[in-house]
Amino acid sequence: MAATAERALGRATSRGGERTLGISAILALGVSAVLSLVVAPPDAVQGEVQRIMYVHVPAAWLAYLSFFVVFVASIAYLRTKRTRWDRVAAASAEIGVLFTALAIVLGMLWGKPVWGTWWTWDPRLTTTAVLLLIYVSYLAIRRITDNPSRRARWAAVVGIVGFVDVPIVHLSVVWWRSLHQGSTVFRLGGPEIEGTMLLALLVGVAAFTVTYAYLMTLRLRVGRLEERAAREALSPLVGAER
Amino acid sequence: MAPNVGYVIAGYLVTAIALGGYTLRLFARARGAKRRAQTIAERRHGGV
Repeated sequence: MAATAERALGRATSRGGERTLGISAILALGVSAVLSLVVAPPDAVQGEVQRIMYVHVPAAWLAYLSFFVVFVASIAYLRTKRTRWDRVAAASAEIGVLFTALAIVLGMLWGKPVWGTWWTWDPRLTTTAVLLLIYVSYLAIRRITDNPSRRARWAAVVGIVGFVDVPIVHLSVVWWRSLHQGSTVFRLGGPEIEGTMLLALLVGVAAFTVTYAYLMTLRLRVGRLEERAAREALSPLVGAER
Repeated sequence: MAPNVGYVIAGYLVTAIALGGYTLRLFARARGAKRRAQTIAERRHGGV
């Protein structure tokens, strides 16, 4: 299972795979923009501003996915001690922080005209802010020590424990009285959204997923190159030949 | 112009800048790391 995942990862992270994913991401984001800004109708109550949903929701879902990958890769690292899994977790955490911050900023831009405020200490907003802090801390912890195995071990523990906040964020609108709307797609009785709007939303999620895959391949290459540079710099041969 | 369209434009601009900016930053980091590794390797093989 782990070997199959590693082979798939190897194929996706080849330069050809990276280029294909990059082109696919640009095309998918273009199609998504047309669907959400031109084809989908304005909302009956909120009007045009509801179009922010087509980027806000995919950003939030991709943040969940990124942190799920951190969670799985962290478990895989602790079980196998293979550096590749630590590299995957670090890459996904960085991209997850980007998507979480993006979801928060987009939510603020949507909240101001609809709720009348940029920010409120609502359960969904607060738990999402905590999620951002957890994974910013994860990235900070990775900079505390230069010892690669210690760094990977500490990060893996935070990556596993930190994931606890993801279901809390998702269920916060169910558990507590929240200003934030509840689930529109994954709900009992089917999605509560018009057909074209649902299509635009799902295409948006697909486009963001391809973009995530592309960013992962690129970030993994950066990780490999930075490790190579660090290895070269620390190699005792440099000193011996000088 | 319909009301609140400015928020939508700002939202899509922020998304494009965040994703595009991060991608460019990754390219820059890759180039920097490659250059660092090459410089050190060249120094070693050149016997500097």
